[in-house]
Amino acid sequence: MGYVHDTAMSQYIPPTAMHYVTGTWTQAAGAVTDTICMHKAAGANTPVVTIPIMLPSNSVALKGSYLKTIEIDYTLAAAGATSVTAVLNKVTRGADTAVAVVSVPAITQDLAAGVAAATQDEHKLTVTLTTPEWIDNDVYFLLQLTLVCGGTVTIDILGAVANFTLRI
Amino acid sequence: MGYVNDTAMSLYVPPTLFHCVTGTWTQAAGQVAGTIVKKVNDANQTSTINIPIPVPSNSVALKGSLLKSIEIDFEIVTAAMEEVTAVVNKVTRGANTAVAVVAPQTFTYDTGNNTAAKRYAVGKHRMTLTITTPFWVDNDEEVLVELTVNQAGDTGVIELLGAVANFTLRM
Repeated sequence: MGYVHDTAMSQYIPPTAMHYVTGTWTQAAGAVTDTICMHKAAGANTPVVTIPIMLPSNSVALKGSYLKTIEIDYTLAAAGATSVTAVLNKVTRGADTAVAVVSVPAITQDLAAGVAAATQDEHKLTVTLTTPEWIDNDVYFLLQLTLVCGGTVTIDILGAVANFTLRI
Repeated sequence: MGYVNDTAMSLYVPPTLFHCVTGTWTQAAGQVAGTIVKKVNDANQTSTINIPIPVPSNSVALKGSLLKSIEIDFEIVTAAMEEVTAVVNKVTRGANTAVAVVAPQTFTYDTGNNTAAKRYAVGKHRMTLTITTPFWVDNDEEVLVELTVNQAGDTGVIELLGAVANFTLRM
């Protein structure tokens, strides 16, 4: 029996799979014809967009998905935001009757939160795990994006891509 | 060329993919900071939640995903429900102009959730549904786990954190 060890795997995560808290969000056509987005109407608030990283996991150590980077495509229109900050939450599921436990692995974002990530523009923000991780079957990752917005800025979330090694 | 037969595969299904009918459902932060949930309002109602299981399928027999169990993470807060029950539905898609055909699959609950009272109790639940006869998911099939949640007469609400499907992958 052979096995697979592919270091160049990627998984697209559509905006419809993401989780939106605060602000008025609607499904809309993207700025580019035939693309889709989740659109936030203008309003001075601080929405939190959580991106579930839906990759195969595995109960055997060093197998399944080895999460390395996550890219988020979004547009800030009408004005820039105050900041766009990413946090990666690693959720270890609780046993029955027990709470989940959240830890925060170290990451870097290629666009600075209050500078390049927040300008009025099209953005491809890459979040890199300082130490890539194999995803256990009792664990999942949520990338949380906090966008501090003034009254005129609108947001289009186009999608995300997780980059990983697959070993099965 | 070799092939893969990995018996320890899992796939996380986030609550944003859940299909919730009846009740007012919102995306919210979970009880534990950094987690996410889909939660229903407090009202006298019975909601139906369908959890799609998006594992890879295959048109060749005995290949693709052998679905073995599904775990559902949820929390009941404030007060107990009156009912939380699950059904595992295998849906065979219809040909063009034909209807789909639904076949409920036999399963067992884990010991922490194997009575009605245990399932609807206040607290954190990790409910495991073990399929009695695991099955390979054909390319013309899809799997939906249907939860019925009855809040009638209570003031409690349910918060859905997500699910995990456990399967063998062969390809």
